[in-house]
Amino acid sequence: MNDDIILDIQNITKQFPGVTALSDVYMQIKRGEIHGLCGENGAGKSTLMKILAGVYPYDSYEGDVYYEGRELRLEGSSIRQASEEGIAIVYQELTLVPDMTVGENVFLGKEPQENGFINWNKLYADTRDILSRYKLDVDPHAVVKNLGVGKQQMVEIAKALSEDAKVLILDEPTSALSEAEVDQLMEILRTLKSHGVTCIYISHRLEEFFRITDMVSVLRDGKVVASQPTKELTREKLVRYMVGREMSRRFPESNRHPGEAIFEVEDLYAEDPNEAGNNVLNGVSFNLRRGEILGIAGLMGSGRTELVMTLFGEYGKISSGKIRLDGKEISPKSAGVAIAEGLSLVPEDRKGHGLVLIQSILANISLPNLNQFASFMRIDRNAELRESLQQANNLAIKAPNLEIPCTSLSGGNQQKVVIAKWLMSDPVVLLMDDPTRGVDVGAKFEIYKLMNELAESGVSIIMTSSELEEVLGMCDRVVVMCEGRSQGTLDIAEATQERIMELATGIVQACED
Amino acid sequence: MSIWNEIAQQFRKNIQTFTIIGALLLIWAFFTLTTGGAYLSAQNFSNLFRQMTTTSFLAIGMVFVIVTGGIDLSVGKAAGFVSVMVAYFQAYIWYNIIPDNPYLAAVLSVTIGLGVGTLIGALQGFVVSYVGIPAFIVTLGGLFIMRGGILLVTQGKTIPANQPGIDVIAQGYLSPTIGWIVAGLIVAFLFFNMFTSRRNKQKYGFQLSSIYLDLIQTVLFALLIIGYVFVVNKYKGVQVPVLLLAVFSVILSYVSNNTRFGRYAYAIGGNREAARLSGININRNIFSIFVLMGFLIGVGGVVLASYVGYGTVAAGEGYELDAIAAAILGGTSPLGGEGTVIGALIGALIMSSLTNGLQVLNVQPAWQYLVKGAVLVLAVFIDVSFKKRSR
Repeated sequence: MNDDIILDIQNITKQFPGVTALSDVYMQIKRGEIHGLCGENGAGKSTLMKILAGVYPYDSYEGDVYYEGRELRLEGSSIRQASEEGIAIVYQELTLVPDMTVGENVFLGKEPQENGFINWNKLYADTRDILSRYKLDVDPHAVVKNLGVGKQQMVEIAKALSEDAKVLILDEPTSALSEAEVDQLMEILRTLKSHGVTCIYISHRLEEFFRITDMVSVLRDGKVVASQPTKELTREKLVRYMVGREMSRRFPESNRHPGEAIFEVEDLYAEDPNEAGNNVLNGVSFNLRRGEILGIAGLMGSGRTELVMTLFGEYGKISSGKIRLDGKEISPKSAGVAIAEGLSLVPEDRKGHGLVLIQSILANISLPNLNQFASFMRIDRNAELRESLQQANNLAIKAPNLEIPCTSLSGGNQQKVVIAKWLMSDPVVLLMDDPTRGVDVGAKFEIYKLMNELAESGVSIIMTSSELEEVLGMCDRVVVMCEGRSQGTLDIAEATQERIMELATGIVQACED
Repeated sequence: MSIWNEIAQQFRKNIQTFTIIGALLLIWAFFTLTTGGAYLSAQNFSNLFRQMTTTSFLAIGMVFVIVTGGIDLSVGKAAGFVSVMVAYFQAYIWYNIIPDNPYLAAVLSVTIGLGVGTLIGALQGFVVSYVGIPAFIVTLGGLFIMRGGILLVTQGKTIPANQPGIDVIAQGYLSPTIGWIVAGLIVAFLFFNMFTSRRNKQKYGFQLSSIYLDLIQTVLFALLIIGYVFVVNKYKGVQVPVLLLAVFSVILSYVSNNTRFGRYAYAIGGNREAARLSGININRNIFSIFVLMGFLIGVGGVVLASYVGYGTVAAGEGYELDAIAAAILGGTSPLGGEGTVIGALIGALIMSSLTNGLQVLNVQPAWQYLVKGAVLVLAVFIDVSFKKRSR
């Protein structure tokens, strides 16, 4: 056994009732490397990581895991044991307590004690040490809910490192981060590496593997299909390994011809509903043409989400400005009004805002559309089922029937349910807030294709994205936002990453503080 | 698919309902054995169902409140308040104005009772939804206020409400013949409903479940109804309050599944933000839920007045706990988003079966409470472990 190998995964097979999640998986992870792990949703990445983290105990799977040269045997519900061994995991969804401080979160469950009482001074001093050792720029006394997602991620990492982790697993750490925050995270990972921490890095953003990892392993349908040094890989190769077929284009081709302007926003100002006087929109103007896909680009905090939510009547309090649909001025005061006017919104936070997870696919798809089949007294359940089935089939939602709850669907399929529910309402303007967030490559492509088809059929789409490439690949024109203001609209022909960043950072057109 | 497979599938889908029905049968079996059969005698059986009606009205409303993620702690005392109001009008007001017309008096009293209940619900609902104070706090306050209201109305005295007319509501019985006619109509409707539902599905081109499965279901329901009428007819006949409860339960069960109002309630409880972004007016819906709860408080209060025959200071004491327990026993999730009217009814039946059984056995009241509390927690524990295993 080579003692350069810190984690040696041998022939792991994990069965769930009716499904083989992992079959004969092997993987060797060298000490001090950053090892990328990629694969489509449902490929088995999370299952494998849960085995390493002790969520699934050692007798629930076949095969062996060798850690530091000896067999790793984590007992049932032994997440604690895994972290004592030095294996820590940062989950995709943040697991911090929002009302506690950074220090309290970092030491949650392992607070330093003295005579049965918590030694607060030691807790905060230790937190500060961890934060500064790994160059994490966060105040130990800050309350977590007041921090941005990027900083929260840092707290999450500090929490994982507070027990001298030797192996740190990062499960899609960047899915909620802006480009600048991703840069910061990359910097942190390099610091960790220089301290000898081994990282397993899971992501859907393939370019990140090329920026940071030494090795990349690819899982497909529960099997390892490749495990190679990053420098021998290309983007095309990675995608091919993941989907198992050639995917020459990342974005599907489209043949659309946007018509006349149908939706116009003129000098829109809106206040934060929770904080009067605080403007979230500071003058937004743009127009949208029939059958066009218009991108909204901007850094985190530039007001992308606030803009679409305000247009949908559910966030900002409009203080001045005009919104016109088909030449007629509208004032969306609530989602109900916006829907009646012909707007639909695929929200950014699928689980929090898009779906009632405990309910069935059917109930979710029909929720905003019950008016179509209901009189005051009665819902025509047969009509409801027929229409919902049609939408589900159109979008190729993978499910045995529409009665199963959305909790049991993968991220990509959940997003399709959200889209289905809004297509059924037959929108004129479809607002899509980061529609492919946390969705795997294959499902992304399907969503892109669907967006193109919709635009070709005359639906006008406004999309935001945390990935600039996506905006550039999908849109006809791009509106760039900075601090709640629209900095201008670029035609796709003149839009480049550099040009957009210039506008987004306010270099070109001055942005007031 | 064979019929057995379909039955098994139905069973798995409704495992929660079957678990609680199983618990009910166990409790009945236990008391029948320990009382030497007296428990399931026609008389006791009839009383058992009559006893559960007041809390059941509250429980089927509570399902809607809890499903939307709320709670109503005031329902017991509010129903008590309605009952003393009804008694007050019966004993002091109508007696002076229309002394010779007891039935008109009863109708007026019932109207006032329903109105007062609805008003209480509307007021609390307004504060919860439009003012934005949590339901727990508003209805806790409501509980105190109703207690005060009862004292104000009764002045600490007991007011008779056993006049002819009003007494029919909770103490009346249908004559056996009418009982059989009602049962016949219901059974006919069950079959009619089964065939129209199949025909409608066919019209839409959906695959039908096996006709035998539907037949078995319908026949089972029909047998239950016929059996019930058969037993209660051996005593005095179908109880008027139970018939009322059945009517309300069927309506509300239908409302919960087949109207926008019902569906929105589940969506709001399941994920309030997703419901809001789907264009649902959250405040208006929650307000409506409390108005519905208030109306049922009115019904429960009227039945209570008639059942006891008096308006008393202690009216409705602790009924909110029975109502909440019944809803939870019946599978309503305390977190919102899940729950059924039928479940709550069975939950209420379990609670009153326990009370009744222990009374027949002459067990001290102290033990009755201990047993009820333990059964509630035990039932939820069993339910949770079932769900864990099926996952």
